[in-house]
Amino acid sequence: MVERLWDSMTIVRNYKSLLFGLLSLILSGCAAKEVVVDGSFPEPVIPQLPLTIGVLYTDSFKNHELVDDGSARGEASWRVSTGVAQVEFWSTLLPAAFNNVVYIESIEDLNNYQVDAVFIPSIVDVQYAIPLYTNVKVYELWMRYRLQLAEPEVLMEQASLDIAADDIQAFADWTLSAYGKTPTAFMQSDVDAVNLAAVMALRDAGANFITSFGRVPSVNSWLATTMESE
Amino acid sequence: MRFALPLITILFLCGCVTANVDEMTFDAPTAGIGDGAVVILGRRHAPDYDTEPDFIDCIGDHITRGNSSITVIPERKFVDSLYPWFEPRTAPLGIEGLDRLMTIEPVANKIVDLNLNYMVWVDGRTQDTNSAGTMTCGISPAGGGCFGFGTWGTESDYEATIWNFINNAEVGRMSASTSGQSYMPAVVVPIPLIAPVQDTACQSLGQQLLEYLSAGQ
Repeated sequence: MVERLWDSMTIVRNYKSLLFGLLSLILSGCAAKEVVVDGSFPEPVIPQLPLTIGVLYTDSFKNHELVDDGSARGEASWRVSTGVAQVEFWSTLLPAAFNNVVYIESIEDLNNYQVDAVFIPSIVDVQYAIPLYTNVKVYELWMRYRLQLAEPEVLMEQASLDIAADDIQAFADWTLSAYGKTPTAFMQSDVDAVNLAAVMALRDAGANFITSFGRVPSVNSWLATTMESE
Repeated sequence: MRFALPLITILFLCGCVTANVDEMTFDAPTAGIGDGAVVILGRRHAPDYDTEPDFIDCIGDHITRGNSSITVIPERKFVDSLYPWFEPRTAPLGIEGLDRLMTIEPVANKIVDLNLNYMVWVDGRTQDTNSAGTMTCGISPAGGGCFGFGTWGTESDYEATIWNFINNAEVGRMSASTSGQSYMPAVVVPIPLIAPVQDTACQSLGQQLLEYLSAGQ
């Protein structure tokens, strides 16, 4: 009798753990999904422009993240942090594009370095789509940047370098779009696929930047003037 | 005895899991690769699909196994070493685009360093088509299991285009189309019997490329 009771309790215990496991699995599907974008970015193979560029990464750029609360739609929420990868990517791309690149951390840096212009990237929008939303078997990510080139003297007038793009008196101000996608793959999680799509979008941003930089009218005239004088 | 029927069924179904191949070479091989290298790249500019990187690796492995004297540059290594000129946005769609690319000095130098003779572009994909059948799975404190039968079709369709760097010309085109039917019977445990559709396409296209690149050797 005791043995039978013990056996039934074992079954109940196993049943509970099974139920707990199943519930955990179901709930994990509803939990927020976090992606800290991580990838390796190759150095571009391009002719270097003979210019010294200061690069200013604002705090909002360095800490950029996309937050999509899907709870109201009954879907998983997403948090995609791109800031660290953005800094890593642009810090690989820009030294290959320009002869000399310095990173502006403070107003004093603007006095200490002789730069031809200061480049300030900011992220206007990031959107993503997963197969659940689109019925297409690809994960996609779009990014829209606002890129600015400003005279160092203009920035020296600012009280702080953590400035909004709208407050910068830039001589060149243009937008750049980027797109990355990755197909669904067996045993690949949503998080891995969105990370890969983000890495592809960053690579695409670099490709778009390199092929369009000299064609932006305000950049083109600045390049002509600056390179002529040097 | 009680295992005999399922075993016979499985063996019978294994016989059905085949892939049909339809291959075509547009240009006959003229000369082999010599001592140069070849890179095989997948097209990734279509909005709804990418040519699978593992399919590209499979073709490269087939060529290397067939002729160890042919140097196949891995796709990822090539694309990274020439970033950003072979990204989906920038990759040349025609041989004219390659001419333009070669006017960029660092790119031309890199291609010379790689000793590249041929570039092969592969465009296509493998996708599931029709599916039928039902399967029910259950779980209880005593255990779990599935019962039912499922079947689905798979089709692969790939085309390879060969560019010759020495002549700056497109020198060949070949294609492979395969299809097959997969089955999944389930009596307690589901047993997937997968048709090797993509593998067959890889062997077919890989063999055609191998013959092309090995010509005259």
